[in-house]
Amino acid sequence: MTTELGIAVVNGVFRGSVYALVALGIVLIYRASGVFNFAQAEFGTTGLFAAYIGIELWQWPYWLGLLFGLAAAVAMGLATERLVINPLRNSSRVTLLVGTAGVALAAIGIQFWQSNEQPIRSMPKLVEGVAFQPFGAAITYQHLITFVVLIVVALALAVFFRSPSGLAIQAAQQEGTAAELVGISVRRVSMMTWGIAALLGGLAGVLSGPNLTFTAGFLTFGAGAALLPGFMAAVLGGMKSMPGALFGGLLVGVIEQFGNLSILSDVSGGGAMMLFLFLLVVLLLRPQGLFVRKAVAA
Amino acid sequence: MTETLPETPEESTRELPPVEAEQVTEATRVTEAVDDTDDDAAPFRPGIGGWIARGLIWALLAWVVFALPGNILSPFELGVSDVGHASKAAIFAIIGLSLNVLIGYTGTISLGHQAFVGVGAFVSAYVVVDMGLEFWVAVPIAAAVGGLQAALLGAISLRLTGLYFALVTLAYGLFAEETLFGITAFTGGEGGKNVPRPLGFEDDYTFYYLCLAFLAAVLWVDWRLMRSKGGRALQALRENPRVASSYGINVKAYTLMAFVVSGIFASIGGALLAQQSTFLVPKTFSFQLALIFILMTVVGGLRNRVGVVIGSVVFALLEEGTLVHLLHLEGILDSTIGLPAEFFGLVIGPILLLLTITLYPGGIGQQIAPIAQWLRGRKFDIHAGKVTEVEVTDVRA
Amino acid sequence: MSVLEVRNLSVHFGGVRALEHVSMEAGEWEIVGIIGPNGAGKTTLFNCITGFYRPSKGKIRYRGKSIARLPVHKRTALGIGRTFQNVGLVKNTTVAENLVTAQHLEINYDPWAGMLGGPATFAEESRLRERADQLLELLDLSDVADARVADLPYGVLKRVEIATVLATDPDLLLLDEPGSGMGPEEAHALGDTLLELRKEFGITIVMIDHHVPLVTQVSDYVYCLNFGEVLAEGRPEAVRSHPEVVRAYLGEEPEAEAETASVPDADAVSEEYV
Repeated sequence: MTTELGIAVVNGVFRGSVYALVALGIVLIYRASGVFNFAQAEFGTTGLFAAYIGIELWQWPYWLGLLFGLAAAVAMGLATERLVINPLRNSSRVTLLVGTAGVALAAIGIQFWQSNEQPIRSMPKLVEGVAFQPFGAAITYQHLITFVVLIVVALALAVFFRSPSGLAIQAAQQEGTAAELVGISVRRVSMMTWGIAALLGGLAGVLSGPNLTFTAGFLTFGAGAALLPGFMAAVLGGMKSMPGALFGGLLVGVIEQFGNLSILSDVSGGGAMMLFLFLLVVLLLRPQGLFVRKAVAA
Repeated sequence: MTETLPETPEESTRELPPVEAEQVTEATRVTEAVDDTDDDAAPFRPGIGGWIARGLIWALLAWVVFALPGNILSPFELGVSDVGHASKAAIFAIIGLSLNVLIGYTGTISLGHQAFVGVGAFVSAYVVVDMGLEFWVAVPIAAAVGGLQAALLGAISLRLTGLYFALVTLAYGLFAEETLFGITAFTGGEGGKNVPRPLGFEDDYTFYYLCLAFLAAVLWVDWRLMRSKGGRALQALRENPRVASSYGINVKAYTLMAFVVSGIFASIGGALLAQQSTFLVPKTFSFQLALIFILMTVVGGLRNRVGVVIGSVVFALLEEGTLVHLLHLEGILDSTIGLPAEFFGLVIGPILLLLTITLYPGGIGQQIAPIAQWLRGRKFDIHAGKVTEVEVTDVRA
Repeated sequence: MSVLEVRNLSVHFGGVRALEHVSMEAGEWEIVGIIGPNGAGKTTLFNCITGFYRPSKGKIRYRGKSIARLPVHKRTALGIGRTFQNVGLVKNTTVAENLVTAQHLEINYDPWAGMLGGPATFAEESRLRERADQLLELLDLSDVADARVADLPYGVLKRVEIATVLATDPDLLLLDEPGSGMGPEEAHALGDTLLELRKEFGITIVMIDHHVPLVTQVSDYVYCLNFGEVLAEGRPEAVRSHPEVVRAYLGEEPEAEAETASVPDADAVSEEYV
């Protein structure tokens, strides 16, 4: 039992790193545009497909393929901001939600179309092999790298939001008109936020893709679904806290793994059940989030 | 300034106010508000030619809906699969109307509507296949169970506002897809279930008319809903819950009612879908289907019954490329942009959605408004249903 | 027994004291005015009476019955009707439709029966529309019955709002700035209408307004709120010349500026707003 719990926790933390990356992007965009970005996970799948095309089909070196994937994700993020979010800036937030869901579905449609010949694909890992095996859970180098990237990204974001540009972004998010008056371009800030968020989504995609075989919609509803867990992680942080989203992602990863424990082996889809129940409990008991202090940290 | 004020209201020497003498002021205050130029002119009446043109269009529409799929009075010979698509379109219209009740009338978005539909499908399949009862018994049972699960989900999560509620429905949809529909004893698991059709409606042509009858019933209920107590309450609470409650409307109870109505509609759609596909697997009810439901409702035009029906029909036909086949476009699409017909809906659908919400927030309903007005015997006015009349900020969050 | 009785009501939002130990009452068939500078807590008081806010302390009784724990729609059912400062109407529909919606509690069929379209519901619907037309006629609004609310000017909407509240069949009418956006003549006519309505329906009215001539014209009793407390109360003439009231409005020494502080007579046509 202890071993089993241990495996669940270790697996959960490493799966959760991907969720945390997605959640960080969701939080960034929510703070900037007040949008629940349903395309966040699709930034990842798009990046993954692009990286795969670069590495496998065009035989580029791995690093170049990764860069291509991330660039594709960022391009998609910027396009979403320009073509969907900006024209709808005066619409209700649920209309915006439908808009981002449309972006996600459009991306999925194009992926299905382009991967028609070979629907199931697999991407080589960055570094092959198993790093270590706590409780017998096999932690690959890929997992380890993902986790390290998450930490680095979180630190970088923390530093960035204390820098002048970071402070400008926060100012523009909180008080758009006033920020315009002191010379901060809200438009540029919005583009920048979507770009950074899409980069985070792209990282989640290219790093989690090699763990399994992937199909269209991999991170939205496929085997590597990170959209709902990412949202849950963001909710745990009250939708606005970046550290909250980070820890939320790891926690959601672990909770989901609990659904695979042997006591639940008779239940199919144990992970989905755990997530649903956990979300209900959190939203009904602590709608402001679990990891929230009075003043929301950057 | 020497008057002393009483310490407390009790001590005040208040008497009943005197009855005022008749002091009616002239009723001249309001009239400037109304533009009464139209009132004097006689209302527009189409001439004989106008009536004939309208009659012909009505007849054509009736022919497409009622006669064409049954190969009655028709120069075309529709095959079984084509009629199957027509049935599916009617079922999708029921589902679109169901989602319209939630998104359009109450302003809460459901990202798990595939679960609502799936519950209806599997319950009716269970009643027919495993309990051996008639379809006519299965539909009310499915509707009741569907209404009940919607009420439960609604009661638990009604405290949450728009976006958070959307998240709960998303989680519920995945939970239903993977956990509820994964219960083999209930759904038959991956192996699926073969659901026989009711007596007298076994073949695809008669089954189409069965679907049409259910669609008509749902349309009737939806129409009466919006023209009676419940619908007015929903309209008020969607726009301004505070005003609604000050009118004496129990906001929570009526939102819950809308949930139940939506759940019942969706279950009926599900029950028919189970019969239509004849082979039912849990995989059918994936998150992608939920997204398509939202797409067709929003593209159709929230709160616009005709628009939602048209939107749903279009998306039902876009799936699997039926529409492309019907219009014989597959060759053109494949040779020019290399888009195979079966992906047409997946690629074009979301683009339609994005164009709709950015350019025509009122959806298809808004686009066809001039024609709809004309068909009702009014003048053709290209500006009918203009954007200002369609609340852009329609859904509250 | 008074229709409305508020005792020692306090409302705190975090550290802000919106209302502090406010007591007031309105007797049967009275018109009670509430005046006070912006942010004095007048609308907060209404929000407590109708149930949008839960007071931190204090009692609210309606005809002797404590209502502090009832939800908004139940208070409406008891007979408390209100208007809103920024026009509380369903904007995307017609005036008549609003009045029909407001008769929600008077409708004697089940919403489910209405959905199925039972024959009785059709008869009831036309009865509701007739009642709406009657009320609109009473307030001289018949010509805008089928106009869309969003297309009408503010002043008309304030009157539509009153008609709508009357449709909820209230015993106690809470009017939040019914005279705002009206010129002196319109406001005076509104005053006449209010007196008329009281006679016609036998209702009690509590009214917030900045328009002191209007308040003086119709009120039997006036409360002046300032910084969440009752500054003065009494007959309209007494309150409006009360030194504290004058100071609260003008922020100056009452002795020095006594002349300017006197508010014009109700009948005088003037641009005076406080």
